[in-house]
Amino acid sequence: MERFCLTKRDVFRVNEDTWIVSFEETIDFLPGQFLMVETPKLVRKPFALGYWGGHLAISVQIKGVGTSWIVHESKRLKAHGPLGNGFVKPGKGALLISPTCVTMAWAFKKFMDVDVIVGSRTPVLLDLGFETVVGDEAFLEKLREVSRKDYDWYLVAGSRSMEKVCWEELKGKREVYFSLEEYMACGIGACKSCATLTNFGIKHVCTDGPVFRGEDLCWS
Amino acid sequence: MLELKPPLVLLSGPAGFGEYLKLIDHRFVGAVVLKTVTFKPRGGNPPPRMAEGPFFLLNSIGLENPGVLSFLEDLPKLAVPTIASFGGETYEEYLEIAKLVKDKAKEFVAVEFNFSCPNVKEGGLTIVRDKEKWRRLLVELREILDDSFLIAKVGIEGLFVEDAAEMAYQAGWNGMTLVNTVRGLIVDKGKILLGGLSGPILKPIALRAVYEVKRRFPNLYVIGSGGVYSVEDAKDYLMVGADAIGIGSALFKDPGIVEEIGRYLLEVRR
Ligand SMILES: Cc1cc2nc3c(=O)[nH]c(=O)nc-3n(C[C@H](O)[C@H](O)[C@H](O)COP(=O)(O)O)c2cc1C
Ligand code: FES
Repeated sequence: MERFCLTKRDVFRVNEDTWIVSFEETIDFLPGQFLMVETPKLVRKPFALGYWGGHLAISVQIKGVGTSWIVHESKRLKAHGPLGNGFVKPGKGALLISPTCVTMAWAFKKFMDVDVIVGSRTPVLLDLGFETVVGDEAFLEKLREVSRKDYDWYLVAGSRSMEKVCWEELKGKREVYFSLEEYMACGIGACKSCATLTNFGIKHVCTDGPVFRGEDLCWS
Repeated sequence: MLELKPPLVLLSGPAGFGEYLKLIDHRFVGAVVLKTVTFKPRGGNPPPRMAEGPFFLLNSIGLENPGVLSFLEDLPKLAVPTIASFGGETYEEYLEIAKLVKDKAKEFVAVEFNFSCPNVKEGGLTIVRDKEKWRRLLVELREILDDSFLIAKVGIEGLFVEDAAEMAYQAGWNGMTLVNTVRGLIVDKGKILLGGLSGPILKPIALRAVYEVKRRFPNLYVIGSGGVYSVEDAKDYLMVGADAIGIGSALFKDPGIVEEIGRYLLEVRR
């Protein structure tokens, strides 16, 4: 883990609110790991590390002034990372993601044998290189199909509602994982702000995760 | 006296148990104040535990910590001077902690007692409510930890800071950290969130507290705590008499700021 500055190389629009930001620099990391990026706001924001077009990249959903600044205004970004535990699994996996995890999915591709399905609420404006479905109905249908294929493991990374739908469908499977997006302030285990309730008590997304097994999470 | 080089501390809570030292050049950190440790282990409050606005953070971590026994069994060994921070839920717990810590107190350049956590139901901020009882507690803690550099961390609620300072001074305490977070509330997407306010919003409040205390008790060692994000902020604290500058929430924005402020303090306090 270290502090560094990233130089923006390019931005690409994925859909209505999500963008890919690629960088000139490279850093070593494992799939699932993330970095904390400074914005004009008071707290750095976590972004899953990944690739786009062979370059280091993150996907940014614009939610407010901080994320908008990253996409539209920043040239250099102060950050620290890589953080959290890497996720590398043998066997054939299925990755079910929202457009905010597209760059992360390319990192998974690099290390694992994995089929990637992107579910987007709004039309996708870019060829993501993965099978992409638009709208809730289409995603549900795809989810059932993926579930029937019986992969060795599944990993879901997206909104809370997407996680819930996927868990309902996949909870009978042997290995189902979720990459959580809890609020984080430090990303390094210091502040205890990223707590999430699990069946083993409070866990910290930044140091115990960000990937957790589905059966360990509290779904109620 | 406490000779920190530079006179800059990473504040209790945001500094965890020293994790930020992995990201910051140690030469610019005078000391780390460890996360407050309580008598019993605490799991902390349920999430969400933090929210932010344009000028503040609101946290309700709820003093998540392993409890004093596990803490003492496995003391964090940091590469910089360390200040321990303790908090009780009752009068008796504060005393018990002090007795347990006594043997290991030499490991710390100072021992801070947190009399001001707004995020716990018992103890925390409410301990200062009964002035006479708190005065006795200060005297008893001083007697037990007779060799330690003792720092009282208070907020602005429950008691005027200058009154708190007078009681601490008379009880023979060496310093104060001013101030802890102030109770706040925000409404976020229709939900009420309670917590302690920190960040820029706290700076004028903390500056006033430092000013009121240092003017009356120049010999109390005061660590200024609230909204330090720049060298300019640090200068303001020095101006009102702070002996050391505390950095908490700013770590979440840019840990690199510690090096800038630390470098400045090394220069002016040479
Ligand atoms: C997430 C968080 C956790 C905190 N935990 C503690 C704590 O355990 N003990 C304590 O004395 N103060 C705690 N504080 C208060 C800070 O030490 C500091 O006094 C306060 O945040 C004001 O400084 P700042 O504006 O630089 O953050 C905490 C603050 C934050 C933001
Ligand atoms: S984000 Fe600070 S402990 Fe996880």
